[in-house]
This record gives sequence, C-alpha cells and structure tokens, in this order.
Amino acid sequence: MEFAGFDRPRPSGGTLTATALKILVAGGFGVGKTTMVGTISEIRPLHTEELLSDRGVDVDDLSGIERKVATTVALDFGRITIRQDLWLYLFGTPGQDRFWFMWDELALGALGAVVLADTRRLADCFPAVDYFEQLKLPFVVAVNCFDGARRHDPGKVRRAVGLDEVTPVIMCDARNRSSVKDVLTTLVTHAMEVR
Amino acid sequence: MIEDDPGPLIRLYGLTGGRARPQGEAFDLVAIVVTVHLPQEPSVLNPEHHHILHICRKPTPVADVAAGLGLPLNVTRVLLGDLRREGYVSITPPKPANQSIDERTYRDVLHGIRRL
Repeated sequence: MEFAGFDRPRPSGGTLTATALKILVAGGFGVGKTTMVGTISEIRPLHTEELLSDRGVDVDDLSGIERKVATTVALDFGRITIRQDLWLYLFGTPGQDRFWFMWDELALGALGAVVLADTRRLADCFPAVDYFEQLKLPFVVAVNCFDGARRHDPGKVRRAVGLDEVTPVIMCDARNRSSVKDVLTTLVTHAMEVR
Repeated sequence: MIEDDPGPLIRLYGLTGGRARPQGEAFDLVAIVVTVHLPQEPSVLNPEHHHILHICRKPTPVADVAAGLGLPLNVTRVLLGDLRREGYVSITPPKPANQSIDERTYRDVLHGIRRL
C-alpha cells in the first residue's frame, strides 16, 4: 500500500537524519517548570503519563495489579522546531524524589538542563544541582523571580547553592518569553563551552 | 500529578494484552519512529497500532507519539515494540550528546531559540 507524503528512509546510508535534542527543566515542586516549558514551546505543552507501581518503580508485570496502588507520573514537554530535521524538546522533570529513575532516562543524551530555583525555597533545587553535577551534564541555575520574591544577586545564589565558578546563574521570569529565551541561549552557549 | 485510581490504566493495558514492557531493545523518549511498511491485512492490528502508523508517516519522536495517541508512555512503547517486531516501523535511538551535537548543531539551536 502506498500513500502520499510517505517519508521513507533515505537510500544513502539507509538511516534517517532526523534528530530530537533534549533539555531538562528541573527544580522543586511548584517552582514554575511547566510554566517555563509552556512559555517557550511552539505547541501547547504535551502531556503524557508513565504508569508506576506503588513502589515508585516501573511495573514489569501487571498481574495482581488490582491489589496494588498504581499511580501515574505526569510528564509535560514542549517542542521547538530548529530545522526541518532537528527538534529541541523541553522536558519538565517529575518533581518528586521517588521518580529519580525517570530522570536517568530523561538525562541520557540530553544537551543540558535548566535548574529552576525559587529564592524563598532555595534548598528545593539542591537535589537537581547535585544530580546534574554528578552526571556532568551542563546546566544553568535560573532563579525564577516571582512577584514578591526577593531579588538575590547571582553571586549570593551561587554561594548559597555551592556552585562552581563556570555554571551560569541567571535571574528569569518563567512566564516571559524573552526571559526564557535568555535562559536557553545561556544554557546552550554554556554547553558549547564545556563540552 | 498523581492519581490513585488505577481503573482506566488497567483497561488501557487491555490494549497490550497486559504487557507493561515492549519487546526487544529499549528505546528513548526522543528515539525517532518512522513507518516503513504498511500491513497488507489491516485486521491484524488494533486501531491504536494504525493510529501510530499514521502519525509516524513522518519521523516522530516517541514522546510525541504517546501524546498524539493520548496514552501513557509504557502503553505506547509496548505498541511500538509490536510494530517494530512486525517490521512496520523503524525506531532510531538518539546518539549520545557528544556525537549528535556538533558545532553546527549548537549554532543552529542558538539561532532557532533566538528567532522565536
């Protein structure tokens, strides 16, 4: 059966060149991750779910699941088309610690990460910072300046979080498109420099 | 977001015959799926399989397939695994960042973000 618009693998080399790059948006619960993804995405953030068992790990066998408490973890993601064959995906990471295993998959092959921080609850971003440092994944710390949030200077945030000198710290407004663009260009520039 | 009611999910797994894992090699959220072959006898596949084959006429990342179907990732992956086993789709894993992201790609990404 044939149909129009069918993109077959290219004969030369036999493989497709379409590529999707990942950027993770991490940070504590309610810090604005989904807002940031929605602000910059060219599509309404897509939403999908992962089924988990009551232990917070992937389910291998569903027999007897009716006796367990199954939960789902939502995954919101947005997309930016860079070229016809190149997309940038932004994944908001699940906020709860019990979903760390999902981060491993999200982080695999990622271009980098944005750690969103709220100065009123700065400690909430520590686990994400530790995680990306251990993984040696390039990241930036973006301080989401909510209305009424105290405006810290980046140097103080850097010291409070215990960052090295090269990891960028920037102030942002997750609702503002040009501010989120600044965050992403800072991340990509940083990733280029340290790779 | 967490929901305690597993009912709809259990029904969803009816689509996969109770399987929670796809057959064969695991694939990433941004692995690229493309339809390479269409079944001669449409009846062997369920409507979700056909929906995937339709979506993936153009190369489509796994995450977009799941969102397009409105199904959980696990379920989507099982269905994709079926289609791969039968030779209807190819699934190309992403390369490691240090191989897939060259200088030009970084510059294109920067340019793409700036022009938004």
